[in-house]
Amino acid sequence: MSTGTNTRDRAPGRAVTGLALRQVRRGGLIMVLFAATMPAIVVGTYGSVTADPTAMASLSALATNPAIRTLFGEPLALDTAGGFTVWRIGTVLAVALGVWSVLTVTRTTRGEEEAGRWGVLLAGLMTPRQVMIRHIAVVSGVAVAAGTAVTAVLWTAGPDRVSSIVFGAGLAGAGLFAAAVAALAAQVFPTRAPATGATIALLGVGLLMRMVGDGLPWLGWLRWLSPFGLLAVSSPYHGDHPLPLLALYGGTALIAAAAVAAAGHRDIGGGLVNPTAGRRARLRLLGSVAAFAVRRAIGPVGAWSAGIAAYFLLIGLTAASVTDFLADNTVFTDSAARAGFVGLDAVKGFTATLFTLLALPVGAFTAVRMGAFVAAEGERRLAPLAAQPVSRIRLLGADVVATTGGALLLVTVAALATWVGVTAVGGGLSLPEALYGTWNTLPIVLLSLGAATLATGWVPRLALLAGLLPATGGFLFKVIAESTDAPARVLSASPFAHLAPVPFAEADAAGSVAMTSLAVLMIMAGAVGYRLRDLRG
Amino acid sequence: MSDSVLRTVSLTKRYGRLTAVDDLTLDVEAGEVFGFLGPNGAGKSTTIRMLLGQVRPTAGRATVAGIDAADVARAHRNLAYVPADVALWPQLTGAEILHLLARTGPGTDVAYRDELVERFDLDTSRRARTYSTGNRQKVALVAAFATRAPVLILDEPTSGLDPLMEREFRAAVIRARDRGQTVFLSSHQLAEVEAVCDRVAILRAGRLAEVASVPQLRALHRAEVTVTYTGAPPDLTDVAGVDAIAADGDCGVRFALSGPPAPALRALARAEVTALAVREPSLEEIFLDYYGAEHAG
Repeated sequence: MSTGTNTRDRAPGRAVTGLALRQVRRGGLIMVLFAATMPAIVVGTYGSVTADPTAMASLSALATNPAIRTLFGEPLALDTAGGFTVWRIGTVLAVALGVWSVLTVTRTTRGEEEAGRWGVLLAGLMTPRQVMIRHIAVVSGVAVAAGTAVTAVLWTAGPDRVSSIVFGAGLAGAGLFAAAVAALAAQVFPTRAPATGATIALLGVGLLMRMVGDGLPWLGWLRWLSPFGLLAVSSPYHGDHPLPLLALYGGTALIAAAAVAAAGHRDIGGGLVNPTAGRRARLRLLGSVAAFAVRRAIGPVGAWSAGIAAYFLLIGLTAASVTDFLADNTVFTDSAARAGFVGLDAVKGFTATLFTLLALPVGAFTAVRMGAFVAAEGERRLAPLAAQPVSRIRLLGADVVATTGGALLLVTVAALATWVGVTAVGGGLSLPEALYGTWNTLPIVLLSLGAATLATGWVPRLALLAGLLPATGGFLFKVIAESTDAPARVLSASPFAHLAPVPFAEADAAGSVAMTSLAVLMIMAGAVGYRLRDLRG
Repeated sequence: MSDSVLRTVSLTKRYGRLTAVDDLTLDVEAGEVFGFLGPNGAGKSTTIRMLLGQVRPTAGRATVAGIDAADVARAHRNLAYVPADVALWPQLTGAEILHLLARTGPGTDVAYRDELVERFDLDTSRRARTYSTGNRQKVALVAAFATRAPVLILDEPTSGLDPLMEREFRAAVIRARDRGQTVFLSSHQLAEVEAVCDRVAILRAGRLAEVASVPQLRALHRAEVTVTYTGAPPDLTDVAGVDAIAADGDCGVRFALSGPPAPALRALARAEVTALAVREPSLEEIFLDYYGAEHAG
């Protein structure tokens, strides 16, 4: 072999990069396509929206919807296609790219190591550091490709081409930041779940900091501490500030360097923080399959509660100042009223609009829980329980009931947190009203649980995806349908079209009953499928 | 037939065009230790998963203590199970898992469980995450042996155990049989099967090749005979049941004997035999006899 030396030197590295690519390529491709398609759709519709005065009116109404504002950030440059795109999908893209990067990094590094598959890999010529760097590089490549795709789409839409680079660079930076933090967490924790959880929690705090910074001027500096905040402060199409991007890339580089350094200072299979191996037995909630399902749900319910409580406490605390602002700007509220958003200038109306968003995280919670149930079966953890004198219906039912209980707790926590926040700054919302508002979202939550359970019974590998469809999918569908000015008939396919802004308006009784009935039917159909099918693993 | 505790009748499982288990009819009687042998992919685990109601048969049926295997809530009151590759909830400790399985199971002898924990030298204060393969297997074995379930279904339960623990395992199987429990043991460890099993079923490509007691299996198979003689060697050519004749030193001969030994003994009687040794085949040799031809062909 004439190139023998060279091949020997490079081959192991290439093989590891190839391995990382194989594990990432499908999701990465979907992510880049998503990043390219979303701005293309928004830019494509922008022309028709601005040409049509009624469409423009409904757009400004949408922009005044506080739920949309809180989620999507301040609309800074709605007068250009690019600025409109940044406001419309900037946060969604940054969060999607960030979450995908986190899940992929922890799955391909800590997840593979935890599963024991790195034992063979690291017995070869590569050091843990080299293997880790190559996996992170591949995920980072996807983040850069996604940012480049967004820039390319907006570049062709013109005319502010520098702004398209600023926006693309900011999005890529958010993905790189998330990947770097996940890589560091994967060195700190010995297992995948806490590494993923800690990183997602950190991103959640970052998102909250952006929201607080956007909402409260004297806390605007908070945005400099958050990747999403820095993306907002860079103001694409409205200033194009480079300094926030430098801060974002600098911070990312520091975190990545820390992750690489940590990779060389730990045992394979261990983390920098290793829990003690032994402990006293805690026998509570181990007495039955149902109790055990509750026990397994406690940790996740606690984590989701913390996130939801923080968000809705923030909503409660800022409700008064936001509604005051809206009340002073009758142009906003008038156009909003014409588009159907009435009462935004009152705390009750504002919180009611935001309560409808609660179906997103709580619906996702039910999907994730059923996804975990299916994973336990696939990884054969369920096998010892499935061999006990417990019917399949009880086995599945225990988790469905525990998940329903968790969802009830989450919507109750949201009501309590909002009420505490509102009450702390002056009031305007009673606790029963808050509860009425959050419990009103339960039909969509149950639809999510129903879809996940149906999939668990018939196509288990799709349980998580199916569970995300009614709430997350339905919401995105509604947003896209509204952006493209779709007819009401199309819009009504989204569950959110049948959700009234409670407590500002009365609940849509017919819609709630219909959605709940459909959910119950899906759960029953799922149970039938689960009874009949072979267990996996 | 009334006291068969595990029964399969024409049990068949197809995955698309692949037939994993083909028309399998088996009866395991109460109180016996039943060995279930076969190479990888022969359909052992699929059969067990059908007995547990975890996999639905394409055709035929399986019963546990007369109850249809699909009725798991009733059928599983009669059994305890150790899977081939034990996976446990990583955040629970060994003690917590044993407690969970005892409380949800068919009834557990807690004192005996504690004794088993000692015998298997299991540290139950550790999280399952930190357990090795062998330790996870021990947790499942302790949980299963400690139940009062009439049937224990063990799917390759000793693949991760060291020789000391393997000995404890055999002792536990014998104690289970002494208490009247039926043990259904799928295994690759032929010495273990030979040591503890009353009857053995041999599965080949999803089909039942043989069911017999270990002595019966031996009788069906070739013994190795070694003969020492003085003077002229015995003439064994064309003697019924004699095969693979080979010289063993200057005045010895070795051959394989199958079927009744009378013709061979008559042939030997004509020579001056000074020593005769008959070695029965090990289960391993029997096993290889069954599958060797398949692999050669």
